[in-house]
Amino acid sequence: MMFPLTLLVTDLVTPNVSISSILPELVVALAGIVAMVYDSFFPKDRRVTGIVSLIGLLIAGVLLAMMWGDFQPVGAWNGMIAHDNLRLGFSFVFLLVTAMTILVSTVWVERENVPSGEYHALLMFATFGMMLMASGNDLVIIFLGLETLSIATYVMCGLRRGDLKSNESAMKYFILGSFASAFLLYGMALVYGATGSTNITEIAARVANANFPALLLVGGAMMVIGFGFKVATAPFHIWTPDVYEGAPTPVTGFMAAGPKAAAFASFVRVFVLGFPLIAGVQASGYLHDSWMTALTVMAILSMTVGNIVAIMQTNVKRMLAYSSIAHAGYAMVGFIGAGAAKSVVERDAAIASVAFYMLTYAITNLGAFAIVTLLGQKNDRRTEFEDYNGIGFKSPALAFTLSLFMLSLLGLPLTAGFMGKVMVFRPALQAGEPMLTLLVVIAVVNTAISAYYYLRLIVVMFFRERTSDWSAPKIPAPIVVALVVAVVGVLYLGIFAGNVIDRFSQPPPSGIASK
Amino acid sequence: MDFISQNLLTILILFPVFGAVATLAHQMFWKQESQLKWVTLGFTIVNFLLSLILVAGRGAQSANGFLYESNTPWIKAINTNFHFGVDGLSLWLVVLTTFIMPISILSTWHAVEKRPTAFYVFLLLLESAMIGVFVSLDLLVFYLFFEASLIPMFFLIGIWGGDNRIYAAVKFFIFTMLGSLLMLVAIISLYYLHLDQTGVGTFDYVTILHSLEVGKLVFAGSTGTLLFLAFALAFAIKVPLFPFHTWLPDAHTEAPTAGSVILAAVLLKMGTYGLMRFNFPLFPDASREWAFVFIILGIIGIIYGALVAMVQPDVKRLVAYSSVAHMGFVIIGMFSFTEWGMQGALYQMLNHGISTGALFLLVGFIYERRHTRQISEFGGLANVMPIYATIFVITAMSSVGLPFLNGFVGEFLIMIGMWKSAILPVSATANWNYISTMLAGTGVIFAAVYLLWMIQRVFFGKVTNEKNRTLSDLSWREIGLIAPLLALMVYMGVYPRPFLDTSEASVKAVQERVMHQAGGTVAKNGPSEK
Repeated sequence: MMFPLTLLVTDLVTPNVSISSILPELVVALAGIVAMVYDSFFPKDRRVTGIVSLIGLLIAGVLLAMMWGDFQPVGAWNGMIAHDNLRLGFSFVFLLVTAMTILVSTVWVERENVPSGEYHALLMFATFGMMLMASGNDLVIIFLGLETLSIATYVMCGLRRGDLKSNESAMKYFILGSFASAFLLYGMALVYGATGSTNITEIAARVANANFPALLLVGGAMMVIGFGFKVATAPFHIWTPDVYEGAPTPVTGFMAAGPKAAAFASFVRVFVLGFPLIAGVQASGYLHDSWMTALTVMAILSMTVGNIVAIMQTNVKRMLAYSSIAHAGYAMVGFIGAGAAKSVVERDAAIASVAFYMLTYAITNLGAFAIVTLLGQKNDRRTEFEDYNGIGFKSPALAFTLSLFMLSLLGLPLTAGFMGKVMVFRPALQAGEPMLTLLVVIAVVNTAISAYYYLRLIVVMFFRERTSDWSAPKIPAPIVVALVVAVVGVLYLGIFAGNVIDRFSQPPPSGIASK
Repeated sequence: MDFISQNLLTILILFPVFGAVATLAHQMFWKQESQLKWVTLGFTIVNFLLSLILVAGRGAQSANGFLYESNTPWIKAINTNFHFGVDGLSLWLVVLTTFIMPISILSTWHAVEKRPTAFYVFLLLLESAMIGVFVSLDLLVFYLFFEASLIPMFFLIGIWGGDNRIYAAVKFFIFTMLGSLLMLVAIISLYYLHLDQTGVGTFDYVTILHSLEVGKLVFAGSTGTLLFLAFALAFAIKVPLFPFHTWLPDAHTEAPTAGSVILAAVLLKMGTYGLMRFNFPLFPDASREWAFVFIILGIIGIIYGALVAMVQPDVKRLVAYSSVAHMGFVIIGMFSFTEWGMQGALYQMLNHGISTGALFLLVGFIYERRHTRQISEFGGLANVMPIYATIFVITAMSSVGLPFLNGFVGEFLIMIGMWKSAILPVSATANWNYISTMLAGTGVIFAAVYLLWMIQRVFFGKVTNEKNRTLSDLSWREIGLIAPLLALMVYMGVYPRPFLDTSEASVKAVQERVMHQAGGTVAKNGPSEK
């Protein structure tokens, strides 16, 4: 009986720790800490913390790019950290989202006297949480990432302390979010009970002969609820419009793009990689069938509810909130396609398509929110459709840019949104199953429905005349940068998507052994 | 010269885009709004001249049966390429597009008062997209241009349209988009069917067609029918075929004159062209099976369009409904699956573009003078505007199908084709092909009724409305821009050979593929034989 003891001792002496494998995450966290500390010494200075955060994001981005190339991390925290294209693709999306959010929110930070150090530090911690959610190959890590992210976003929603709506938003998000976290955690506990492991690779191996198959099903169901809440899919979407409307506009943009993508990253990892279909094993078949069915229903509901309710909105932020619910539904089509994939290559390509979709959605949506922030003025007063009446030719640059984003959200060719939609519909059609084909048909019918409200913004801006006075706002430099990035991104991803798609579907050269 | 002939189609597509950029730059740096139309006109005329190289160079086909073929990779990850080429089906449509553009720009000379820069930029972008639709041989690229053509048109109707423009623009956009999105699903499905059965996923039309012809790609069960329907719906909405036509009168009526002209002359042709190019060769079995549905809907369109046109109080709306009837003719000609019928359909597509385009221009002229299009506002115009009246009558005759004018040739060919067709059932008591032809034939009579009645009320008799007494007749610019159309009406009515000869081989190939190849398993002289 000496053997286990020596193992324990070597583990304690040389634990399976590899700083290098989580370097990008650490850099982001460090930047957040620097921002926070700096703020406590020089609270009046608004710019430095933003610049520090941007630099941190940039370094993290370079490190990520290196990890996709030759940089080979060793060791993997006993298999708790994954190193695959899912992680890298999504992490890249998060960094971009946060960087854009920082640029977009400069106006708002100046205008409303926001404690910028706090804000930037929270944003960086949220990013750290998101990155952990994508890289965690262990339920515990995923949960830790999720909580880090959630707590930071709860606070950010309520940053506009004097505003009742902002407070309502934060409170609602906090209470419902905690509730959802509890579901998720309970689900994780049950899965652990059934398989005896929290490591996703291990779970996948043990799904075939789980202790209590029923436990696994219940655990999976609870996790569907928990993740469903975080990605904001119907029927777990009720919180979204209120929270999105009340939160400060840049934060709304961030939440619609970042945390949603992060939740997708974990959702995909746990279900596609953790609960696979193992040929000939009945238990895995049940589990796989159940979650695929549940997700199909959720996708259909999300698209339909999101789009139809969005049509009725009179507020641009609420409209974008419902549109984000619909987009979660579209992304889920690719997710389901990944679940139905017949080979590892197909599966990885499908996962990459979901990441790519989140990238296109994030860049388009953040661009749109940048303009909504700019036009919103203090306390987001001007966010009704009426406020956009006839501004098209008074401020053509802004209006045409916003139109481009709307067309991209709609998914018209030559924009990022089109390539995103093509990419997520592909895996579902590849499976060749009638149900999945039907799902795609429902998705495209929904796209046509969504044309109505995306076009409405264009209609309001260009086709109507303005009756009251309106002067075009001055566009500050950081917003110009953010908009240029968004416009170039939307067109680049729409026209030259090949490079990015290749990159996203290509696994890094050295995958780490899972344990 | 080599460079031009090797990349001619790419140049035709990109040149208007450069024009749009130049227009914007011109406006930014010189701010001379009065020069804008000249800049735009210049670009469209040059593009027209370039497109004439296509006509001059016909005959030099590539191995796939296409002229000026070029193939540039776009997204390697999903194997989609900018594969362009023209053949008999598309050549004249491309030329029609480039030909109608300068004319519609000339028609806007004094009509566009607000935001001229944006107007001309959208027109040029629209031209690009339309040419792209007709020359694309990659399904995804085709879809791209098909959708891209929506956006400029949406803005043209929405910003420069009539009172009800917003409703019309949104309806136009959503109708067309719904159809084409289902086509997108079919396109991606084709990619995977090809991948599953041959090991290579592709969007390339020529490759897919070849695989079908040699039997490497077979549609099992109802797959072929579903794919056919998904494609057909997109095109039926665009044509527009009877139950899907409701967007058209709104869009036509509300659009500015240039928009209506382009809509009638080119945009509607995308639908019929798509059916001929993609539906028939790719899904011959389903095409035959469903032909009767399309013929019935086509006939309903002919009669219904004519009847509704008869009671319209608004001249432009009348012309719009006449489009529904004319496109019904094109549909039955195509679905007769005889060489006459299909040649006639193709010819009628050009005719409709020219005659209806001209009618919209003429309606635009009078609207600019009176700012109304109500028939009841006019009467006796022939006394005041004799030249205008003459041109209008000739154009209307061409639209009705008077012999020696272009409309006659097309309609006559279509009716022979339908008469000789074997696509509808023949029993001892009834030959449905004959019955269909007769029903369609009534459409010609109705067309004469609604157009002549309208002409009578607008042009003949005494001048009833004092406001009309002082109207000026057509200016030289207006005569100049309508003259080429008139010349073509006569030329195409008297000597259709050059047009029919060019399309003969391609039409024959499609016709044989549909009628003589069972299930796409027999390799015979299809257009892509290698």
